[in-house]
Amino acid sequence: MNDRTENLLLALPGLLLLALAFLLPIGQMLALSISGPDGPTLDHFVRFLSDPYYLGVLWRTVRLSFLITLICGAIGFPLAYIMTKVGPRLRLWLVVMVILPLMTSVVVRTFGWMVLLSRSGLIPQMLRDFDLVGRNFALMQTEIAIVVGMVQVLLPFMTLSILGVLTRIDGRLEEAARTMGCSFLQTVRTVVLPLALPGIVAGSLLCFTLSASSFVTPNLLGGSRIQVLAASIYRSVTSAPDWPFAAAQAVILFVGILLVLLPYIKLTGGKNG
Amino acid sequence: MVKAVPFWLRVLAGVFLAFTALLLLAPLVVVVGVSVSESQFIAFPPNGLSLRWYSQVLSSNAYLNAGWISLQIALLVTVLATLIGGAAAIAIHRRQLPFSELWATVFLSPLVLPTIIYAIGMLMFWSAAFGPVNPVVLALSHTVIALPYVVRTTLAVLSESNPYLEEAARTMGANRLQRLWFVVVPQCVPGLAAGAFFAFNISFDEAVLSLFLRGPNLTTLPVQIYGQLEFSPDPSVAAVSTIMIALTIALIVIIDRMLGLTKFASA
Repeated sequence: MNDRTENLLLALPGLLLLALAFLLPIGQMLALSISGPDGPTLDHFVRFLSDPYYLGVLWRTVRLSFLITLICGAIGFPLAYIMTKVGPRLRLWLVVMVILPLMTSVVVRTFGWMVLLSRSGLIPQMLRDFDLVGRNFALMQTEIAIVVGMVQVLLPFMTLSILGVLTRIDGRLEEAARTMGCSFLQTVRTVVLPLALPGIVAGSLLCFTLSASSFVTPNLLGGSRIQVLAASIYRSVTSAPDWPFAAAQAVILFVGILLVLLPYIKLTGGKNG
Repeated sequence: MVKAVPFWLRVLAGVFLAFTALLLLAPLVVVVGVSVSESQFIAFPPNGLSLRWYSQVLSSNAYLNAGWISLQIALLVTVLATLIGGAAAIAIHRRQLPFSELWATVFLSPLVLPTIIYAIGMLMFWSAAFGPVNPVVLALSHTVIALPYVVRTTLAVLSESNPYLEEAARTMGANRLQRLWFVVVPQCVPGLAAGAFFAFNISFDEAVLSLFLRGPNLTTLPVQIYGQLEFSPDPSVAAVSTIMIALTIALIVIIDRMLGLTKFASA
């Protein structure tokens, strides 16, 4: 046995698993998306792209994912920045604060929001008590509920992506900027923000991808009236089974995500995975 | 913080942290609160204090079965992902395979593909080729999505290891198996351990694959909870959820003790 055989043997189980339980199923799905009663067809795609209802679902998915990503970035950057500046004890607690939700099942977290946002829940109740909203105000089954729930689900991904880059920035750069007369905010804007950009971009792509493809939270918080693409796929698989149509929707989701990811992968040479 | 940060900015940072803590932790606190409520209905803040919902969960066959299935699958996934991913990481790290740069990308690719797309492919492929799904299929699919984490953590540890140790062992007459087992694997242990915890956590909490690949006798805990939430949530859902949160906290404590959470988060 030589070195190459040994390494091949080590990698073999993983390769087999990925080939049989990953690539093959995806290939099967691609094939199914263009399958029809009489040979290959693009009917399922045409049906999706010519129906105003499904175009509305697609547009809502893109719009909400964009909004969710934006909010995650707006909260995630300051949070990650503060995490690099505080003492080790507080930092540990902040890391726990970010990791604990991340490692808790999405189903459990969404349940928490269902309780908080429901008609008699704490948040609508408070808003009503302060007379900020009318008596019939509801948060559940609205797009706002989806956005709030998804931001909580995805904020840890954004924060950790940015934190990974921020911890590698040389602190002396900021000190230099301050010595040269920059105010604190100027330093953040002209020194920290540009250096953190790779982390922000990576985190945003991750957030956008995950938010466009999630259906547990949107389904439970938005209800059946407010459908997003992933929820529509799930429905095409379960309640009104139409597998080729479900496969076609999955392919549309996949292509959409690739269109967002490709420029980035080109830009970084695929180094950041 | 750096010196000479204006006072108002510190105050602002404090307010911001409080707001973020509220946003991130509120859903978890609420779930724990509801679980100890005495009332029939889901209410927060809870009225009364009782553990009746816990005793109801522990005597409910649906929850116990789901929990048992989740646990079995998660343990199987942990073993499979750690063995397969660890071996693959060692092979990738040595860079002696043809197209050596490509392999890391291949093994990390399940990370990039949205789970729902993979889930639907797996369901269609399996049903078309072999019929109804079974727990092993679900475990294999969980292994696929857990694999990148093990590969990543193990590669990270290996990249800081000393490449000459293996050379030294070879010079001293150790054969391939001995070098692998006594020199390479022990160096991988922290990465393997972190990966194993990840794999367990991913499988135990995973809802998407489990929803698509569920069956009459194949309902994991998250799927059981999801079903309850869709139809008739009562405080027993909160009790199960709290147990899951407690498990997550235990995992985090173990990871912190073994590897250090802060280092691990910024890696």
